[in-house]
Amino acid sequence: MTPPSQREERPLHTGNRANRTSRVIARLAPVLAAVVLVAACSGGSSSGVTITDPWVRTSPVVAGAGAGYMVIANTGSVPDALLGGTSDIARAVEVHETVAMPASAEPSASGAMDGGMASPAASGGAMTGGTMMGMQKVDRLEIPAGGSVELKPGSYHLMLIDLTRELKAGETIEVTLEFERAGDVKVSLPVRDQ
Amino acid sequence: MSTPGRRAGLVPRHPVAALMLVLVTALVAACSGASGGANASLTPVFVEAVTQPPLGSRETAYDPPRPSPSLRLTDGDGRPFDLASLQGGPVFVYFGYTHCPDVCPTTLADVREGIRRAGVDARVVFVTIDPARDDAPAMKQYAGFYGPGFIGLTGTAAQIAQAASTWGVSYTQLSSDSAGGYAMAHSTDTYLVDASGELRHHIFFGAGADLIAKLLLEVARP
Repeated sequence: MTPPSQREERPLHTGNRANRTSRVIARLAPVLAAVVLVAACSGGSSSGVTITDPWVRTSPVVAGAGAGYMVIANTGSVPDALLGGTSDIARAVEVHETVAMPASAEPSASGAMDGGMASPAASGGAMTGGTMMGMQKVDRLEIPAGGSVELKPGSYHLMLIDLTRELKAGETIEVTLEFERAGDVKVSLPVRDQ
Repeated sequence: MSTPGRRAGLVPRHPVAALMLVLVTALVAACSGASGGANASLTPVFVEAVTQPPLGSRETAYDPPRPSPSLRLTDGDGRPFDLASLQGGPVFVYFGYTHCPDVCPTTLADVREGIRRAGVDARVVFVTIDPARDDAPAMKQYAGFYGPGFIGLTGTAAQIAQAASTWGVSYTQLSSDSAGGYAMAHSTDTYLVDASGELRHHIFFGAGADLIAKLLLEVARP
């Protein structure tokens, strides 16, 4: 910013011209405001949420659902939360989490990691259990202030439910994420095999 | 900044201009996250590739190898299929379901990439543990998406339960309020069967394409 001393001096030397200038600035203010706003809000960041490395995995329509991944950073000083989203390529967009859960049958008997664990034919074909992975819907994924959350395989992911078309490598899809505070944030996700 | 003597130079005298300045300042602050780390708002905080998390153990070898359990189900064309018919080349066997957006595609993509890196002709048998939704045509489409070496198998609920039990695979249906309907929890390991029909490796979720390629090359070595 211009040092205050110069600002104070200027009217003394420029007289009426300064008054005219300030009137012009006053009239232009709404335009300037709009320009500044667009510049501030059109980048990848909006209201403190920054999306990095977004991608979605290739998927056939028959799969019923595709998965999107990214890193969501919250550069603000208050927590935000990812609630879900919308996209033209899916009927619904939800946040899900892949979680490990104990298998129902003999969860501990097969725990030995000695080559025989959870192995077919290890005990005459008995169901040996071990760990299963399941998936649960996340209604509100908090993004801590000044922190970030990674959506990645085997963890949190965007679930694109009922794909309207195949997700082909090399394409890019658009998803609008819905945040509790930041509101709608548009993200372009390249489609990759992995 | 708010010292009375300096205000004249910093704040526009015109009330509209003054109001706009306040609005712009507030909105820019809101848009850039200036309330916290304003300097980080325009550059990504995290720039990192998606990498596999370090896992303590990514596979278990069957040492010595043991005969593979049987697997007789229905293929994507609705015809009877017997795993024994694939003897002569290595085969990956995996149990999952088509409405699985994360774990199954991650595993199948890794296996496909591992086969590509190894440069070995191997087949992949994908067995559904969700026969209620995964009929033969669905399995044909799904397996076909991954490539010609992929074979999708289904069966009656009883047949699937029997096959999973024989292979030590657990699964259960999870209730969910998701728009996508119910999800399945299931064992996420991949089995590697060699050309002679012997079980050689039990590969855990997240093993990655490099390890899969390495194991496949070992198994395929004459």
